[in-house]
Amino acid sequence: MLSEERIVLMTRMASYEQGEGRKNIKIGNYFRSDYITVQVLKAVFCGTVAFCIMFGLYMLCNFEEFMENLYEMDIFGFARDILTYFCAMVGGYAALTYIVCTWKYAMAKKSLKCYYHNLKKLGSMYNGQ
Amino acid sequence: MTVLLEMKERLKLIYSKCEVFLIPIVKFLLAFITFNTLNDRMGYMAQLDNMSIVLIAALACSFLPLGAVVLLGAVFSLMHMYALSMEVALVGLCLYLIMYLLFFRFSPKDSLVVVLTPLLCALKIPYVVPIAVGLLCAPSSAVSVGCGVAVYYLLQMVTESAPNIRTMGDEEILDKIRLLVEGFLGNKAMLVIIAAFAITVVTVYLLRRLSVDYAWTIAMIAGVMVNVVILLVGDLYYDINLSVGSVLLGALLAIVVAKVIEFFRFCVDYSRTERVQFEDDEYYYYVKAVPKMAVPMSTRTVKKINSQRSREPMGNTRPSGGGRQQAGRDTADDRSAPGRGGRPSGRNVVVERAPGGNSRAGRTASGGSRNTAQGRKDGRRGVTVRNGADLPDQYDEEWP
Repeated sequence: MLSEERIVLMTRMASYEQGEGRKNIKIGNYFRSDYITVQVLKAVFCGTVAFCIMFGLYMLCNFEEFMENLYEMDIFGFARDILTYFCAMVGGYAALTYIVCTWKYAMAKKSLKCYYHNLKKLGSMYNGQ
Repeated sequence: MTVLLEMKERLKLIYSKCEVFLIPIVKFLLAFITFNTLNDRMGYMAQLDNMSIVLIAALACSFLPLGAVVLLGAVFSLMHMYALSMEVALVGLCLYLIMYLLFFRFSPKDSLVVVLTPLLCALKIPYVVPIAVGLLCAPSSAVSVGCGVAVYYLLQMVTESAPNIRTMGDEEILDKIRLLVEGFLGNKAMLVIIAAFAITVVTVYLLRRLSVDYAWTIAMIAGVMVNVVILLVGDLYYDINLSVGSVLLGALLAIVVAKVIEFFRFCVDYSRTERVQFEDDEYYYYVKAVPKMAVPMSTRTVKKINSQRSREPMGNTRPSGGGRQQAGRDTADDRSAPGRGGRPSGRNVVVERAPGGNSRAGRTASGGSRNTAQGRKDGRRGVTVRNGADLPDQYDEEWP
């Protein structure tokens, strides 16, 4: 016989699985440290590429000035400055990613806990029949 | 208000019925308007400025995820930039890549915001965006709004610099790049608007989440005020030539649009707020429950009751067909009913079903005598079935 309560629960769960749940289940498959590490590594990669693009644009804008002062400038000092900017940008971006991903993982776990609780409830409904 | 709520329910019903067709149509229209606006504003590549190409691209977008509109929009703009100058396209590509790599990663599902923001900026109604986004999305969407504003200013700058770029020779590659990069980074208006919109989104989001009465209204008004104040202060400090009249008009329009959004998304009746307090072993609970305003849609079913009744003792069974045959007991009842004389025996009866909802209107509709009164008011007459329950054999008829 059809159970209205069970159908409502199954519909909600199916809707969750196809929407927000799909992403959360993917996140939930990772251990916390693994998920955050992967995301931070991705952030470091993206940050590096973005920094290279920015540096390229900066060099193109100031190419003539750079070439004029090439023999007079402190190359090591310039490289040190660039490296400092790189570390600040990529480090900051990675730290931001770490905070966002920690929060995202906690939210996903919380949501999945509710989902698994509902799954258990559904199982008990079937067993109780 | 009841009329509006009924209209809302009707729209929801239409949407749920035609969702399969409506979503692709909306996507198609959005993509079409976006690509057409890009072609109108830029239009440097003659091959791309062609209605058939726009239609094909928009048609493809209607079946693809919303991200396709962003991607194809970026491709369209880059191709126009390329037609203007390769250096311009290079700068555009670099800026798009930076936005994608650094910002768009945090809110990948905000494609609609990224498309709508430059589009509404181009249509001169950008102030709606931060309020609507604050009401409907998460605070991380502020990043997407910022990206949208940046894209709009990039395209505007390319359009404005186009005559200068055309006059430059092919050997002036670095000058072209410098012109665009410095023009983009030194655009104070863009920075002020990004800051104003981002702060507005976060303000609206924080205020609408408060558990005070009329939180959404407070959020939208406060958001509009914050937005206007930041823009005016920015104008004062950086002299960005902002029209005060357009800002105020935009703010008013934003409030109107926000009220419409509120009606569809957060329509609650604060006068029936309930506060409950209880406890269990671990916690005390202070619960505030605000009921949603809703009117259950009355569904009409036209029942054809044939007057023929079998002469055999069949209880209250209704025979089918044979409308022209001699009327049975039901027909006799009809004749006795005032104002029904001369009606054909096979009559149409409007059965109004009013399912009991959790709303006030729902409860009212489910009441017997009130329901009849409502039926009269609406000009409907016929059989009233309470709560959509099973149709009784002896109808509870009340004639006007």
